[in-house]
Amino acid sequence: MTLLDVRDLVVRYGEAVAVDGVSLEVDERERVALIGPNGAGKSSVLNAACGVIRPASGRVRIEGHDVTGATPAAVVRRGVSQVPEGRHVFATLPVEANLLLGAYGRLFSLEVVSSTLTYLRSRTEVRQRLDRVYDLLPQLRELRARPAGRTSGGQQQMVAIGRALMAAPRLLAIDELSLGLAPLLVQQLAEFLVRLNEEEGVAILLVDQSASLAFSLCQRAYVLETGRVTLEGASRDIEGRTEVRSAYLGSDTGDQA
Amino acid sequence: MTTFFQLIVVGISTGSVFAIVGMSLVLVYRATGIVNFAQGVFAVLGGLLTYSLGQHMSLVVAAVLATVISAVAGTVVAVVAVGFRGRTTPLASLIITVGIALLAEALLLTAFGEVPRSYRAVSDHAWNIGGVLVQPQYAVLAVVALAAALGLTLFLRRTIVGQALVAAADAPRAAELIGLNLRSVAVIAFAIAAALTAIGGLLLAPTVPVTYNADLSITINGFAAAVFGGLASIRLALLGGYALGVVEQLVVGYVDPQYNLIIALSVMLVLIGWRSRGELAL
Repeated sequence: MTLLDVRDLVVRYGEAVAVDGVSLEVDERERVALIGPNGAGKSSVLNAACGVIRPASGRVRIEGHDVTGATPAAVVRRGVSQVPEGRHVFATLPVEANLLLGAYGRLFSLEVVSSTLTYLRSRTEVRQRLDRVYDLLPQLRELRARPAGRTSGGQQQMVAIGRALMAAPRLLAIDELSLGLAPLLVQQLAEFLVRLNEEEGVAILLVDQSASLAFSLCQRAYVLETGRVTLEGASRDIEGRTEVRSAYLGSDTGDQA
Repeated sequence: MTTFFQLIVVGISTGSVFAIVGMSLVLVYRATGIVNFAQGVFAVLGGLLTYSLGQHMSLVVAAVLATVISAVAGTVVAVVAVGFRGRTTPLASLIITVGIALLAEALLLTAFGEVPRSYRAVSDHAWNIGGVLVQPQYAVLAVVALAAALGLTLFLRRTIVGQALVAAADAPRAAELIGLNLRSVAVIAFAIAAALTAIGGLLLAPTVPVTYNADLSITINGFAAAVFGGLASIRLALLGGYALGVVEQLVVGYVDPQYNLIIALSVMLVLIGWRSRGELAL
């Protein structure tokens, strides 16, 4: 069944058209990549899908429910969590508070009192999920008391992923996993995401500039260029097409310069 | 020497109010990035409401009601300052709060008149400690300021709601992405800050009668206290409030009573200038 269904999406910033009729699907338990050069509109697609920006036209559905123009909170409650570009951890709060807020945020509504009570009532459940996240990312357990801003870039990426997982998402949308991280670290995170996908059944939508990472991590890929999908299909098919390497993705050495 | 200690004691009590207002400003700033220049209005509102309601009921009940009403007023200010839809820039929010302060003065004048108001303190007896008179009201103010500092620190560090406020300030985009509603966060911060400032104001009124237009000097003093900690630290805002209160009283006692607002402004400007050169820029 289609988990995330983006149909004919158009995103405009004033006069500029950033996304020009993009359609994209992610099935349950699937790993899908959205790749393309800088400024192709990848993040705009993701942000429109996650309710951060309102599309000019087109539809976004999660499991058949229309969430076009909905708030990020509504999208999270439908089971799609985003790991933002540049990680954006809550720097002054301990790692554990960052994670717990991921669970709290999903329950948060305009009525703070009732959402807080709901959160406190589901404390055992939250605790179990926290333990699960710690099992998946053991480093975070060791860092739990440290302010998130005082951890390394890779650890912050783990915090951001862990925080998103605390909302128990069906789909994890990751914006620029590899940005600013050492290749070895990116490799470890990629392996973790595959395991997360296979063991926990969480679908992955990866938006990244690194084509090699996207192809090794994801079964399917969409190539985006100037706001349009120019290629889509199985990763290995797309990877084989030399024009992809040269035209859109540059020399594919996996570095991020 | 007795005069000196007397001035210190009075300074700590007025400084407690500056500290309370300063901590309120820090709370709002940390959660929303907004400097609320209408913060002092809640101190005036707290004092004047307690006076008016106190005509019909016990002062304690009046004070509690005044605090609650101020908190509600705080939520209204939050909604207006943060904007009804979309995000208002911090600069726009600041200008809005200045506008709210001006409007509030006019409303307070209409509602309560221009007569300075005061009422009974917690006790009429002053303690005489080696010739220095200590009003129990001073002690109450100092204790409330300390309790507020402790309470706010624990709230922000240990409770999930407090952590949500900090998160919204640390990374607003990520806070939205995990489902937090930034406007709700702002409302909580403004409401708590308004209630706290109202408590400070209503406790000050017995020793310093409150008038409808006292808010500006309270806000400026509170802001000077808050800037002491770069608008980010509850603890430093507390210390800043005490320090400012004592310095002002010493100047009032030994130099000229006219100078106290000038002191607050000078301290504030010097601190801003000094801070903005360091890494803790505003």
